[in-house]
Amino acid sequence: MSEQTLPFAGRLNWRASLPHSRRGKVLVAIRLAGVVALAAIAANTPGFFTAVSLFSLLNTTSFIGCVAIGMTFITLSGNIMSFALGVTLSTSGIVFMAALPLGLGGALIVAFAFGAAVTGAQGFVVGYFRANPIIVSMAALALITGGATLITQGQGVYPQGDAAAPLKGRVFGVSMPLAAFIFTVVVAQIALSFTRFGRQLYMVGSNWRASLAAGLDPARIVLGAYIAAGLCTALAGILMAARYSSGDLELGIGYDYSAISAVLVGGTAISGGEGSAIRSFVGAFIIAICQVLLLLHGFSTQIQYLTIGVIVLLVIMLQTLADTD
Amino acid sequence: MTAIAVSQAAAPAAEPREARAGAEQSEGAAAVVGVRNISKSFGPIAALKEVSLDISPGEIRGICGENGAGKSTLVKILTGVYRPDHGTVLVGGAPVSVATPRQAQELGIAIVAQELSLCPDLSVEDNIWLGSLRVPFLHKKPELRKRAAEALALLGADHISLDAPVARLSMGERQLVEIARLLTRDARVLILDEPTATLTDVEIERIFAALLAVKREGRSILYITHRLAEIYTICDRVTVLRNGELVATTGLSGLDRAALIGLMLGRPSGDMYPEETHVRGAPALVVEGLTLPGIVDNFSMTVRRGEILCIAGQVGSGAAEIVSALSGLVHDASGRTTVNGQPLKLGSPARAAQRGIMFVSGDRAAEGVFRRLSVLHNLVATRLREHSLFGFLRTGLLRAAASRLAKRVGVDRRRLRSRAEELSGGNQQKLAFGRCIERQANGVLLMNEPTRGIDVGARAEIYRLMRTFCEEGYALVMSSSDLEEIVGVGDVVITLYRGRQVGHYRRSEVSMHRIVADITHPADAAP
Amino acid sequence: MRPLLANRSVRPYLLLVAITVVLWILDGGQGRFFTTATAFSVLQQFATIGPIALGLGLSMIIREFDLSVGGMISLAGCIAVLTGASHPELGVALAVLFGLAWGLFQGAIMVWLRLGSIGVTLGGLLTLGGLAYVVTGNLSISYPRMDVALAVNRPVLSIFSFRSLIAFAVFLVAAFFMARTRVGRDVYATGSDRRAAMVAGVRTSAIIPAVFACSGMLAALGGSLLSYSLAAASGEALTDALVPATAAAIIGGVSLMGGKGTPIGMIGGVLVLCLLRAGLNAVGTPPAVQDIVTGGVLFLVAIADAVDLDPRLFAIRRYCAEMFFRRDDLGRPRQASPAE
Repeated sequence: MSEQTLPFAGRLNWRASLPHSRRGKVLVAIRLAGVVALAAIAANTPGFFTAVSLFSLLNTTSFIGCVAIGMTFITLSGNIMSFALGVTLSTSGIVFMAALPLGLGGALIVAFAFGAAVTGAQGFVVGYFRANPIIVSMAALALITGGATLITQGQGVYPQGDAAAPLKGRVFGVSMPLAAFIFTVVVAQIALSFTRFGRQLYMVGSNWRASLAAGLDPARIVLGAYIAAGLCTALAGILMAARYSSGDLELGIGYDYSAISAVLVGGTAISGGEGSAIRSFVGAFIIAICQVLLLLHGFSTQIQYLTIGVIVLLVIMLQTLADTD
Repeated sequence: MTAIAVSQAAAPAAEPREARAGAEQSEGAAAVVGVRNISKSFGPIAALKEVSLDISPGEIRGICGENGAGKSTLVKILTGVYRPDHGTVLVGGAPVSVATPRQAQELGIAIVAQELSLCPDLSVEDNIWLGSLRVPFLHKKPELRKRAAEALALLGADHISLDAPVARLSMGERQLVEIARLLTRDARVLILDEPTATLTDVEIERIFAALLAVKREGRSILYITHRLAEIYTICDRVTVLRNGELVATTGLSGLDRAALIGLMLGRPSGDMYPEETHVRGAPALVVEGLTLPGIVDNFSMTVRRGEILCIAGQVGSGAAEIVSALSGLVHDASGRTTVNGQPLKLGSPARAAQRGIMFVSGDRAAEGVFRRLSVLHNLVATRLREHSLFGFLRTGLLRAAASRLAKRVGVDRRRLRSRAEELSGGNQQKLAFGRCIERQANGVLLMNEPTRGIDVGARAEIYRLMRTFCEEGYALVMSSSDLEEIVGVGDVVITLYRGRQVGHYRRSEVSMHRIVADITHPADAAP
Repeated sequence: MRPLLANRSVRPYLLLVAITVVLWILDGGQGRFFTTATAFSVLQQFATIGPIALGLGLSMIIREFDLSVGGMISLAGCIAVLTGASHPELGVALAVLFGLAWGLFQGAIMVWLRLGSIGVTLGGLLTLGGLAYVVTGNLSISYPRMDVALAVNRPVLSIFSFRSLIAFAVFLVAAFFMARTRVGRDVYATGSDRRAAMVAGVRTSAIIPAVFACSGMLAALGGSLLSYSLAAASGEALTDALVPATAAAIIGGVSLMGGKGTPIGMIGGVLVLCLLRAGLNAVGTPPAVQDIVTGGVLFLVAIADAVDLDPRLFAIRRYCAEMFFRRDDLGRPRQASPAE
């Protein structure tokens, strides 16, 4: 888990990628120890490596993971998190289901556009006016929930016909959600590491005023980050709706917290400017592994939930070691 | 030149001033506060090296030295903001540990710092009594209100309403509120760090009268300033710091200004500043009628290629705001600006950048450097567009560019992958400059106090960099409140007082004395 | 009139009057709105949201944000229900004590490790929510004392109840503290400019845990009394209390930038929100509309409090002036010139 460097670019000087400060090195050591401990527990848990548990693990992680990648863009831009991604997930699914009469391609376009627009509106206000991102996302949560409940009358939306069937299949032998998750991680990481947008995103998240002074347009970049988040979330929403054959507001509950947990546990800084899609990918997996391990050892879902919460708290506290102060 | 001189027991009869009377303490008088062998480093930079001094009761001690000499660090150690790496602080002869500002207050040390510490949402009265140990649980007491009013009246500031929120006061009024706070503290030692930056002559006189009253009560005062005239007016003795070391503590009788400056600088002033360039080109930046509501009124200037223009002014005079406005960081600026013959609309940094305007700020942490990102990223931050293809970065080219820039500004190329925050302040500022090199042939470089808080060695390098920019045909504009820097570096100097232009000088005409006179008086007043 | 309008703590009451008028018009004389029942319902909601909004508002005044109140409400309810069977006061006391301890813990972490509040309280929210979830085992725990549940909600003076009176009392105590005591002034100072306050001698490292302790206590008080009134504690209850509480605090004059806002103003803010909800309910609008209205208000307020609002509005105004009214950069009428 090295600092923000240019991966795959020329000669890799991994030694230089390690943090220079003593506290930074302690942090890396702690993280490594945690991963090793987790692997040890997993190896000693009967039933962990069976195909069944691994595949179900991967599938449940995929939906949360997509949203987590979207959340990563928002966190990297310095805007902490969004409370509205979960509800965007479910409403994108609803829109997708409702638009299926347009054919699969048309419905996809409409659903993606919806997700991008809904999150983009938040990004506009946060970027151009620099409104408080937490408050704006709360407002969006209320607005979207209210609007969607009003329109759907609290009922689920069911597809007519079978247009969504292709989305329930497998791609290269893996399930569609997992393929989509991997695809999202790869695309997001490429964007963050290799494109100008990605680099500028790190700058804006690191220091808004310095970005201004350097001649960037931070508002546009924040807007881009939120739109990216909307697209990732819409993708998850579409696939989830296809999987359960219904669009329903219930589907997205709790996803905001799961997503931000994955982002933080993966090591992205909550203050912005530091982190990556791969880290969130790893974070989502670590959380999923913890959940499965707890389950296999006989702990209830409630204990799993609590454990994740405590882990997040500890990870946040450890973040202080990352600051060379 | 480095001996610590003890004040003469025999007072010079030639200067029978009331202020001097208290200075002639015998050596046995117990020091009210002192430091022994204090050292403090920030990373590789040693801010203070084995400094020891004593302040006697009823003494007004001046402390002077250039930027980076260690004055503010010493004061922050005395007031609990910093902890020293080595050494002790003594109060009343006994060693104490000053861990927090509150503890400093309990020990009888109070301060008016350079950075004002007023809370904008609180009223004047609340700010005066903020943090004071004397305030009881129910803090709105008539006696306290009366005391606050008296303190303001003493400073001639009774026009300031006690209930006004501080956010609505001008810089000068806020300064007076801070000094009023100081007066209401039961302090044995009052410390003032550059307190007169935003004040008029009349206000300054009032403050001096108040300080003399404090001195008569037997309390001591530490007065830190750049303004040598003030040292001579009010101080009994002066301590000179240079590069973190105590150079001399001496009485002021018999020490003329040149000698004092010599103690401060330790070398002829010319060494640090490179020769001026003789290449002069066409006007690169023309400003007419620049107005910032409430701050600057109708400012105009012309900057030519190869020239360094300094805008000299105190904090709050508008100098820094002018530079920020030209960089596009101020939204309500109006006026006509022309860059290389083309008009430029103010208010957007991106637009300014497109026209070749680059901005380097003295406030590195807030505006200059991306601290968590690597040195490499910082250097190439402005070059992304030209080294990318369809939105993808050409990392090989960027790395080569960063390497080249690092070499030119004097940053170790092995540090390219380190985080910027691991570099010293001076090196971080060099990153900000490095961003601006080789941008365009017709660039304009705008700088706000670019050498603030940077050690002497790095400053010399930065001045050399500036000359390099000049030779490459850039036009440079720099706002500064450091008189020596202005005189040393500026080809053209414009002085500013409270938002209005006072004087315009070429290099040959300018002097520190002239600048000080201009930036502390309105244009129409007699010097 | 101007200073009155500008006073952040008076504005919510003006809004209150405006909303009352609008709802009266919407009612159209059918008498659904101006009933004791509506007033009682409004004040019952006030009792629920009020203490939480106050705690959250205090954390916003010091320029932080306590996300964990959502989890605290649930967990405090569980604690009160589980321990308050024989002595209801004990249940509430224990819950409040827990809120105090947890708040101090969070605040201490923030000060000691120099962390921002969002991260720490997010962890707190997940942990507390998780604990509540574990304790309740995903079911509701019922509270055996129906008499307490009724007593807590029994109408007093026909529009109040024990709960709403407690809520008002808490606000009044807070108002006294913030306006008249040194600690209250120090809280405003910490929020207005933390560095300046610290340099002046304020013990900011004590103020921050104290404020979070208060928000923990207040959330616990609200949560425990609510559980009594519902005669049940649920692991899922009111994790979305955060949105209305935030809206209420902000309408009440608290600024996200810190240093501003009073408890009296917050009373007005909470009343505005509760009136909107109860009033809309009474005239027959579906609950989803309440969400939309709350969200809309919060959205507008977020923009109004936005950092770059002034520069952007200025830029828009100037753009319009140049495009449509032919004024140049300095506001003078522009002559069409060939050079441009």
